[in-house]
Amino acid sequence: MRRGITATVVVLIVVLMVVSLAACGDGNSSGSNETSSAPPPVNNTQPVIVDAGPVVNGQAIGNEDLLFTSVTICVPGTTTCQTIDHMAVDTGSTGVRILASQLSLTLANSMNASGQPIANCVQYADNSYQWGPVAKADIKMAGEVASSVPIQIVGPANFPAAPNDCTAGGTPAETVSDLGANGILGVGLFRQDCGAACASVTLPPAVYYSCPASGCIITSVSVAEQLQNPVWMFPQDNNGLLIMLPQVAPGGAASVSGSMIFGIGTQSDNALNGAQAQAVDGFGNFTTTFNGTKYSSSFIDSGSNGLFFLDAITTGIPNCSRPETGFYCPNSTVNLTAINSGPNPNARTATISTNVAFSVANAAVLFNSSNSAFNDIGGSNPGAFDWGLPFFFGRGVFIGIESQSTPAGAGPYWAY
Amino acid sequence: MVLLALLTAALSGFAALGGSEESVISDQVKFQASRRIVPEHGYRIHEISRGDGTLIKEYVSFEGKVFGVSWNGPTLPDLSQLLGSSFVEFQNSLQRKAGRRKAAVVHNSDLVVESTGHTRAFRGRAYLSSMLPDGVTQAVVQ
Repeated sequence: MRRGITATVVVLIVVLMVVSLAACGDGNSSGSNETSSAPPPVNNTQPVIVDAGPVVNGQAIGNEDLLFTSVTICVPGTTTCQTIDHMAVDTGSTGVRILASQLSLTLANSMNASGQPIANCVQYADNSYQWGPVAKADIKMAGEVASSVPIQIVGPANFPAAPNDCTAGGTPAETVSDLGANGILGVGLFRQDCGAACASVTLPPAVYYSCPASGCIITSVSVAEQLQNPVWMFPQDNNGLLIMLPQVAPGGAASVSGSMIFGIGTQSDNALNGAQAQAVDGFGNFTTTFNGTKYSSSFIDSGSNGLFFLDAITTGIPNCSRPETGFYCPNSTVNLTAINSGPNPNARTATISTNVAFSVANAAVLFNSSNSAFNDIGGSNPGAFDWGLPFFFGRGVFIGIESQSTPAGAGPYWAY
Repeated sequence: MVLLALLTAALSGFAALGGSEESVISDQVKFQASRRIVPEHGYRIHEISRGDGTLIKEYVSFEGKVFGVSWNGPTLPDLSQLLGSSFVEFQNSLQRKAGRRKAAVVHNSDLVVESTGHTRAFRGRAYLSSMLPDGVTQAVVQ
């Protein structure tokens, strides 16, 4: 069965390559309205796939609802490159993070003004973390190249261990088996993983560290040296991106292929058309209204493997029993509607609202199938909606990056 | 630089769930964090503001025990310190599986922990049902 899944993936990748080449031709022929000073249009369509994940010890990990792509990284300014498959496409974080175990390139550590290596720590709400040095690399996807992008190399053996401020008693997600991916491609709403808070010289948060021989200590790092969203560092198509995935039938699919298209309104393939843009707040959140109650800390996150919202008492949907606690297990599929809303980025006094229909099926039953892509996995997220990967199936979702100009106004915003 | 690092490291050392109110006050004085006390019916809240905008609230009974904590802001507080002796139970109660990313929700008979959010926006709360003051419900811990 595992072998069968792998074979399917290979066929899909071949099909994707053909589709990708066709998209490249379209892109090249449609850029005639660019001004003479603009760089010539490039292929801006990167194939993405939801599948069973990277292969470890001859078996695919068996992920559910994780979106992947392949990213080519290069020693800056050279053709010394490596393509890493099964990078998780995550709109809930910012920055490229590659597991050291999957990296064969040698990349130079970023250093601070004192000549000490800079390290980065990312912590997740489930109390897992990733630790490792910052290095610069050229990032290539489709025909786009972002040069000298600070990235994180996660968990290298030849680097000081994560300090207590980073681990916080939590669990590392630093192996392919633990992460379910070879790395994370954080292409969220923000330009950097941290921003101004980590550049502050007074009491910066526990995100960046300098690592002299005496041990790693929390430090401030300039915004330019922080982990970057590679998309905003492209010379073009850099104001955002569009993720397009087809709808998935009830019961799920073994794999689902789609596109990550760079730029918003920059080429013929990334026009907003009827998509409605909704600005987010300074944290990247917006309001979801459900059964008349507003939940203002809601967000969209392709890196979450389900539609996580509220709790069993509020929704009336029963929880699954162990080991799938945290997911919903209704006896039959529940069909629901919510309203997402946020300011119009072009006229912030106006509120844009969009109805979102969604379904929740029995997660334990879905997980027992051999499929990897589901549009109806649900679970709890007390007090808010976490619109995970199922939200992306059957719709095009635009991510407007902060402070980047687009036809719908400046980011950060979502449009769909 | 060393002094700065010490201050930063120490800032995460606030009082723990189930601990005493005195530790909240001594930590605040020692670490020069911004703190204010908000009186409520049947309990009081110590609000601790971190420099990056993260707000930590500690809910303290009139007996001087921290019965609940909450957090909201761009960085995740050190839950091993904030949850104190309940942290091990929290970790052991999480059902981890490769590739799963979602909120950490633990609803045990006494301990409740709800940790949600995403990079740059974390939010959560924890409380001990057995330590809720008379007439105070878990809903106040927000």
